[in-house]
Amino acid sequence: MIEVTDIVKRYGSNTVLNHATFQIEEGQLTTILGPSGCGKSTMLRCMNRLERFDRGRLVIGGVEVLGTEDRKLSAAEEKELTRRLRERVGIVFQNFNLFPHLTALGNAIEAPMTVKGLSRQQAVEVARHYLHKVGLSEKEDHYPAQLSGGQQQRVAIARALAMEPDVILFDEPTSALDPQLIKEVGRMLRALDDLGKTLVVVSHDMNFARSISDQVIYFEGGHAVEAGTAAEVFGNPQKPETRAFMQSFQEEESDGDRASAAESESEKLDADKGTRATLGQEE
Amino acid sequence: MSELVRSTAAALLLLALLQISALAQSAAPSTLQRVRQTGVLRIGTDATYPPLEYVENGQFAGFEIDLATAIARELGARPEFINASFDGIFPALQNGSFDAVISSVTITPERSAQMLFSDPYYDSGQLIAVRQGTQGIERPEQLVGKRVGVQINTTAQIDLEKRTGVSVAVYNTIDLAMLDLKNGRIDAVVGDAPVLRFMIRQSFRELQTVGRRFTDEKFGIAFAQSSDDLRRAVNAALWRIQDSGEYDRIHEKWFGEVAERTADQAASSTRTKVFDTELVRKTWQLFLKGVWLTAKLAFLSLLLGLPIGLMLSLARVQSSRLLAAPAAVYVEVIRGTPLLVQILFIYFVLPLFGIHLPAFTSGVIALTLNSAAYISEIFRAGILSIDVGQMEAARALGMTYAQAMRRIILPQTFRRVVPPLTNEGIALLKDSSLVSVIGLTELARTGQELASRYAAPLTIWPIVALFYLLLTFPLTRVAEYLERRWRPITRS
Repeated sequence: MIEVTDIVKRYGSNTVLNHATFQIEEGQLTTILGPSGCGKSTMLRCMNRLERFDRGRLVIGGVEVLGTEDRKLSAAEEKELTRRLRERVGIVFQNFNLFPHLTALGNAIEAPMTVKGLSRQQAVEVARHYLHKVGLSEKEDHYPAQLSGGQQQRVAIARALAMEPDVILFDEPTSALDPQLIKEVGRMLRALDDLGKTLVVVSHDMNFARSISDQVIYFEGGHAVEAGTAAEVFGNPQKPETRAFMQSFQEEESDGDRASAAESESEKLDADKGTRATLGQEE
Repeated sequence: MSELVRSTAAALLLLALLQISALAQSAAPSTLQRVRQTGVLRIGTDATYPPLEYVENGQFAGFEIDLATAIARELGARPEFINASFDGIFPALQNGSFDAVISSVTITPERSAQMLFSDPYYDSGQLIAVRQGTQGIERPEQLVGKRVGVQINTTAQIDLEKRTGVSVAVYNTIDLAMLDLKNGRIDAVVGDAPVLRFMIRQSFRELQTVGRRFTDEKFGIAFAQSSDDLRRAVNAALWRIQDSGEYDRIHEKWFGEVAERTADQAASSTRTKVFDTELVRKTWQLFLKGVWLTAKLAFLSLLLGLPIGLMLSLARVQSSRLLAAPAAVYVEVIRGTPLLVQILFIYFVLPLFGIHLPAFTSGVIALTLNSAAYISEIFRAGILSIDVGQMEAARALGMTYAQAMRRIILPQTFRRVVPPLTNEGIALLKDSSLVSVIGLTELARTGQELASRYAAPLTIWPIVALFYLLLTFPLTRVAEYLERRWRPITRS
């Protein structure tokens, strides 16, 4: 279980995370949903120590992290904590941040070799396994610049998987993609969920969140406003903030495509089928 | 670099040296003892001054070369001539790079205050050269209101600068002054009489000397102030050479009627040309030594400058002030001071602290330290140009800062900095010409010597330029190769 308890983070006088508290079940796909500027991306970055927080407590992958004001760490302690945390928690960035000088395979074997000390042969074996899982076996010798956006994202996912973490964080996985690719990402995430990974996705796209999530945490004003299963939060939101957000989203949608809500339900089903198809290849 | 900066730098350095060397000298072993022990008399000379001293087919030649050889023999030593440009020759003497300077040095009160002189061995004087047909310039008083060319640091420069109203143009070598006179940019050239006559006969026949020597100057052999014992021994040798008639024979060989007549005949049998293809055929091999030295200097300095520059840039981009601040100061100081001064400092000042480095080593060190500062900024700009997401992604995968730098950031940086690094390499290649000031006969200095020896700057300098161009070729090819190899990665 991932536990976030009373986390506070400030940039100067600006409080980005304001007593954020929530739990995330293991092996589930949880979306942190919220408007832009609500602190959800900062929350995600705190979860693998790309950012430090001032107060509160985080337990993730069995590692406990306390706010910098609660416990001062020496440089060596900090290094050790970061190392243990990142061993268990991977991240897929919004714009992927692939290493442009390495091929798809190179991207996926780099960290297993330098961090875990795997031999090249071992690392290649692991990396090929995950590149196959994301359907990119044929592209392993391509450089990122030679791949499409969707393919790049899948390389980024394979790169994170190759470290075999318990938790994978996704920062706005749909924002850098064309609309027609969003479905494909959803399918991919469902497939990963079935591998038993704990997935945490940050998104502001309600329809996407609804189509993929087991659990949803609605985030606003630097803290979790409401949490529950996707059916609970979307079907019967309890808090006025949540309702207002959903309302505004639906209004926006209805301007464009009134049927999209219904469609995203069927997307979810498609996604599940797709998942089985992908994994079927594996087995 | 402007002459003013060069000579000011040399003068300041000399002054500093005198202050420090006074303290350092007391314990040094006697110069004469050392000459006797090693059997070598090291003589500094600026061999761009025919017929007094010049380089002929790679060998030193001239009146003073013969004289110095005779003196060394009298001392029971072998002469070792070290070619040094005139603006650096006295600092080099002071720091012990050679034991004596024989380079048409006129004994003046100013110079006597800074170094020791042998008895005079040659009477010279300044003479005026003008274009043929020029009226009204025969005496120095008539130079007022005129623009007059001289060689840097010579008594001609010292004399003319004392005369108010004379506009003095200072040249590195006398052949360039003659060329400028021929081209009409200056009105006259003032220099040592035999040298002017040589130049005119060789290839400036549109010019002529006028009037008579207007100064009475005596050449002396210069020594560092600590070398009084050597000075006395050389004086004794000079007397013996004069008594034995050998001095007269040497003088006759270079300035006698026979010599003058032969030279005139040789000169009149050839036509002076703007670009002398015959001279190219005769000298191209001599260039190769200079080319080789320049290539070695630039290659070694670049090879050493790259890792040092990389270290400096890494020190600056990481977060600890402890490393970043000294690196920043280093870059600031090196970039903010002239390379020439750095070369002079390493070669002339370090010996005062007991660090004696040969000229080549000093040159490589100076060029390395200098280029490292520029290279570090190229690397730093390259590192900073890499998206911060790259470092984040690497760290998020568990890599340490050092691993991320080595495996992710630097490989991308190298691909980006090839063009500016090529620039720096080419600049370094050409900047290496500045080491001629500490007596290294690299390509540009070779050109200087040949241009004055044959009084043919217009033939020699284009060849020098061509050789530099050829030297930059391998660099640009390597850069092209790397860029081609990395194209599939940078394509997007």
